[in-house]
Amino acid sequence: MLFNSLSFVLFLIIVLTLYYSKLFKWTGKKRMLLLSSYIFYGMWNPPLVILLWISTIVDWTAGKRLAVEDNQKKRKMWLLLSMFVNLGFLAFFKYGDFLLENFVVVMNSIGIDFQAKPMDIILPMGISFYTFQTMSYTIDMYKRKIEPARTFLDFALYVTFFPQLVAGPIVRAKDLITQFYEEKKATTNQFIWGLFLLTIGLFQKVVMADTLLAGTSDAVFGSSKLLHGVDAWVGTIAFSGQIFFDFAGYSTCAIGIALMLGIILPDNFRYPYASLGFSDLWKRWHISLSSWLKDYLYIPLGGNRHGITRMYVALMLTMLIGGLWHGAAWTFMVWGGLHGTYLILERLQRKYLPFKITKWNGIFLAFITFSCVNITWVFFRAREFETAWNMIKSMFYMQTDGVKILDTFTIIKVTTVIAIMFLCHWVMRNTSMKDVSLKTSPYVLGVVWAIMTFLIIIAQGSGEQFIYFQF
Amino acid sequence: MNLKKSLTITIIISIIGIILWEFFWRKQGKYADFDGNEALWATQRAKVEKANPKDVVLIGSSRVLFNVQLNEWEKETSIRPIQLAIPGSTPLPVFHDLVNNTNFKGTILVGVTPGLFFSTVSKEKRPWRWSQSMVDYYHEQTYAQRMNHQLSIPLQKSLAFISEKKGVDGINLKELIGHIKIGNRVKNDEPPFPSFSDIDIDRNVKMKAKTSKDTSFANIIKRVWNNKSTDTTPPKNIDKKGVLEFFKKDTKTFINRGGNLILLRSPSTGYFRNKENNFFSRPEYWDELLEEINVKGYHFEDYEKFKNLDCPEWSHLSATDAQFFTTELVKILKTDGALSI
Repeated sequence: MLFNSLSFVLFLIIVLTLYYSKLFKWTGKKRMLLLSSYIFYGMWNPPLVILLWISTIVDWTAGKRLAVEDNQKKRKMWLLLSMFVNLGFLAFFKYGDFLLENFVVVMNSIGIDFQAKPMDIILPMGISFYTFQTMSYTIDMYKRKIEPARTFLDFALYVTFFPQLVAGPIVRAKDLITQFYEEKKATTNQFIWGLFLLTIGLFQKVVMADTLLAGTSDAVFGSSKLLHGVDAWVGTIAFSGQIFFDFAGYSTCAIGIALMLGIILPDNFRYPYASLGFSDLWKRWHISLSSWLKDYLYIPLGGNRHGITRMYVALMLTMLIGGLWHGAAWTFMVWGGLHGTYLILERLQRKYLPFKITKWNGIFLAFITFSCVNITWVFFRAREFETAWNMIKSMFYMQTDGVKILDTFTIIKVTTVIAIMFLCHWVMRNTSMKDVSLKTSPYVLGVVWAIMTFLIIIAQGSGEQFIYFQF
Repeated sequence: MNLKKSLTITIIISIIGIILWEFFWRKQGKYADFDGNEALWATQRAKVEKANPKDVVLIGSSRVLFNVQLNEWEKETSIRPIQLAIPGSTPLPVFHDLVNNTNFKGTILVGVTPGLFFSTVSKEKRPWRWSQSMVDYYHEQTYAQRMNHQLSIPLQKSLAFISEKKGVDGINLKELIGHIKIGNRVKNDEPPFPSFSDIDIDRNVKMKAKTSKDTSFANIIKRVWNNKSTDTTPPKNIDKKGVLEFFKKDTKTFINRGGNLILLRSPSTGYFRNKENNFFSRPEYWDELLEEINVKGYHFEDYEKFKNLDCPEWSHLSATDAQFFTTELVKILKTDGALSI
């Protein structure tokens, strides 16, 4: 079910009515939320709910055993079981065809004539999110960082909680399970603020991403022609805006919906396009994934504890795997690799060419960072290397005879939207929406909110899927 | 922060805004109607799963959609046909789907618009892609999509501004923004293509009265048809051999299981008639198709009452003529024993 759909509106009204009715006690409400979450997921493809059940049962059992087991070997076995099942799901459903395809290439390259039909496996929605979320539970249990979930219901709800089930934020057990232990009820202000966040999220998705930007990026990246530099740049910045509004929109909706239930989810975005460098970017973009990768991959790989070379290797590996997490394609690896390279270069710069960031050079640095990020988006969005390379060539004017496919108004529209987005991120980088709204008159806030609601309704949207669902 | 106050203001302004927006579009001549999208097609396709041998399914391109009127057909036979025709496309993927993915053994009426019917069996080409996308949507439709469609029906029925229409008729935010043009950086020689039909909840399509009454409006549509070629320009896609082979195979399976297949060649005039005569001559296409397939076929030229029907924009009948055409066609089919009832 998509947040930007009529079925979700009905679903949410029913869930909220039942949640705030006096029909159930807290356990009953949690059961209702769990059942609703399965319905939410099953409305897309019912049989794939089984994967959620398997993941839940395996990690619940592993967590329980890890809580009482002292034998280190056995503890490791339980951890490995959890990893095997979750990563096995990912390997099969997400990377099956990719692995097969590359196996065929390797076989053919060493002279063995081997052909394989693609398996055409359906990708379960949100599989990368819920598997990472449940794995964090067993890993934390293994490291004895957290207490086991008190009941199976609490744990199942943690794995399946519908607002963040299919596209995050990837919430840690300590941050969410504990909230299920005592009855939660949003205060009036929390409820209204949740509704406001839901509106903002939908506005970002329906109006900004789908209405204003998606068409341009689709046209540019879908073009088989070698494009003019202006078209390539405009298509790329349109995608950078689209993916931000799409994904941040989803996260904002998720946080808002959870808040309407009295549950607090962590921020996933903090105005990332005003980042001052790439370390800053990863503290602001998809925060729940980057912190997951840091805690469960970068640090176990050695982090910065074993010298500079090892740190750079760990950094690069983390970013490459982070790239692959997004999709089963080499273009995603290149995207991750570019970010890894940026991070390494940034550390080298800090060591050999340090300079102070002031309010005068800050916006310039933010713009440089944003521009470099845009280059990485080319590889993220392009389906094939050929497209990506053509785009890069066009962007840097190595393509002199590029075709113009965007009209003047589209160019003005996209550049204006992206410029406003960049400036908003810059202005907001050290504050939050909550702080700004506290300083805003309720009348102004009401009018802004109404304009967003009105634009969402007249945009209608054709129920476009969120980009991150495919990851 | 007084959020209650903000929420109240939001609700009031949003409601007023939406009411004004609806009034504005109604004042501009828009009215509440249905979107002829894949979800609507899927609801009709679903009916085939429960259809019995007396039922009739209509497939083809826009000529079947415009010219065969469901109300008139029902009046004559007490059976309301299932309308699955898709504009601008070949009916082969839909026929293939009905033959291979259902047990339907009633009547399938296939509209033969030569330029589309004989165009292609290539999945990459547009006439095939459009049809196939509908079939795929039906088979891949999620429960959420079905529910969204059902929930959208009362809204589509009552609000004029709820519309998926694209191009000059588009009134959602994306389309409205798309109407703004500055300069001529990109050459666009596509003439505007206004909608000239209305669709009902069961995909019964009628030509808008304006098309038959307002010559200048009909001329706008005509400009779309002959924008890129003249009636002497050969069509881009013709694959008679491939189409006949493909269609013959599915026809055999359908007839063998007791199905009844009827072919229909609807009237055309002007540019289309000339083009069809120039490149799809009757003996080489229609007659050969009937000979190969060996089922009943009805060509408008064979009936005096259909010969002089006029298509206001060369390809489709006006609503009144379509009603006449349907009534008379069903009478002919009945007299001929062509319907399996």
